[in-house]
Amino acid sequence: MNRSVYLDHNASTPVHPDVLQAMLPYFSERFGNASSVHGFGREAREGLETAREQIAGFLRVSKDEIVFTSGGTESDNLGIKGIAAAKRAGHIVTSQIEHHAVLRTCETLETQGFTVTYLPVDEYGMVRPEDLEKAIRPDTILVSLMHANSEVGTLQPMNEIGRITRGHGVPLHVDAVQTFGKVPIDVNAFGIDLLSFSGHKIYGPKGVAGLYIRKGTKMAAVQHGGDHERRRRAGTENVAGLVGFGKAVEVRGREMAGEAVRLAGLRDKLWEGIRARVEEVRLNGHPTLRLPGTCNMCFRNVESESIVLGLDLKGIATSAGSACTSGSVEPSYVLVAMGLPLDWAMGSVRCSLGRSTTAEDVDYVLEAVVPLAAKLRALSPVKA
Amino acid sequence: MEYSATLIDHFRNPRNAGMMREPDGVGEGEYELCMDLARFYLRVRDGRVEEARFQAYGCGPTLAACSAGTEVAAGTALEELAEIGEATIEDAVGGLPAERRHAAMVVARALQAAARDAMTRRKVH
Repeated sequence: MNRSVYLDHNASTPVHPDVLQAMLPYFSERFGNASSVHGFGREAREGLETAREQIAGFLRVSKDEIVFTSGGTESDNLGIKGIAAAKRAGHIVTSQIEHHAVLRTCETLETQGFTVTYLPVDEYGMVRPEDLEKAIRPDTILVSLMHANSEVGTLQPMNEIGRITRGHGVPLHVDAVQTFGKVPIDVNAFGIDLLSFSGHKIYGPKGVAGLYIRKGTKMAAVQHGGDHERRRRAGTENVAGLVGFGKAVEVRGREMAGEAVRLAGLRDKLWEGIRARVEEVRLNGHPTLRLPGTCNMCFRNVESESIVLGLDLKGIATSAGSACTSGSVEPSYVLVAMGLPLDWAMGSVRCSLGRSTTAEDVDYVLEAVVPLAAKLRALSPVKA
Repeated sequence: MEYSATLIDHFRNPRNAGMMREPDGVGEGEYELCMDLARFYLRVRDGRVEEARFQAYGCGPTLAACSAGTEVAAGTALEELAEIGEATIEDAVGGLPAERRHAAMVVARALQAAARDAMTRRKVH
């Protein structure tokens, strides 16, 4: 009988039971608008500010430096466009493997007269600090680099990156949506001025996220309306969701360190099991400096989606590196930037493990993937 | 993505998969945007396909459509197979989502090419 194995935690995670319990009263008896002056409003405000304190405490920053948003994409937009709006012109440095929330925001700014440098990455998906050093110009207004890539999980050398941006006096924005609550983040040691993070990647609800803005960072609001979030992000706060976000962060504070060790062990068991049993596979991303739960592999000359579908039929949820969304398939731009040849890049599959993943799950995946890869290769007219 | 039960069945249990020794006709179909590739082998008797086999590289729907395509081809006259349409293949897998219609196209092209190849060989002999 099929098990149900969810290995797509980099896409989203289930809400933690404690998080759900914390949120529930805010849908009913504590439903007030956090901006209202009456008791209902004050009650909602209290929940909101408790969440802000929980998150600020986790990041070891001031609660005034946390702005709540509706998602990682909005946080990235606010961080980058907010700096651009304050500076009005200039040059931005980012990388070729950023999330589309960063890449497309930068592309939009290019149409408005800003210039952007997209740094290449090495074979592991890592930015070379010397490339960043060379890219910064006198008119550079922002460096925006992700902490870890969602597809391959490679962790960027944040200490080096922060040292360089600090040396040049350029603000550093970090998209930490995939690392927040999974690996330690020290905004002071890393020299981070803006940090995007999200709730639903860490067992919180969808639709809530945040942006850390270091005190003194000059930026403008990009969404206008009321005076919410100290005039940095207009719009009624999602109180129930944010209360859940605060609770999720509190739980991560207790579980993060132990879970990182456990997941790294399972991740490596999965990869070693596949490498030992399936020919012509490769691991994508840095062998050690990567997210504890992320295992991105390529099966040469097998198409990603056929593996994902085959695993799905066994109850295993993974994600394909290449997506056939509108009648054409593009290999993952991340893998292409890492220099993978097409016959490898078209066969990438990401398994992202989480707190519910067990050793038995990994064994089950190994039992399923080995015959599946053999079957798909037997069907294929494309030979290595 | 929602797939029909027929499509899933063909994906799980592909019929007539693998190459054929000394076929009477061979044809390939490609969809470059997707890099999908289907190859069909035909055994022909008295102008009709007696047996069809396939090899394919592609997404699940393409592999399933190939499997269904072998069943469609079996018993079909070469002249008819040389004109086979995408709709016939799509029907044979119980329908395709709009984003996966290329699966039927690849298979139809490959079957048409295989039928034409068999017809050419027949004239030569």
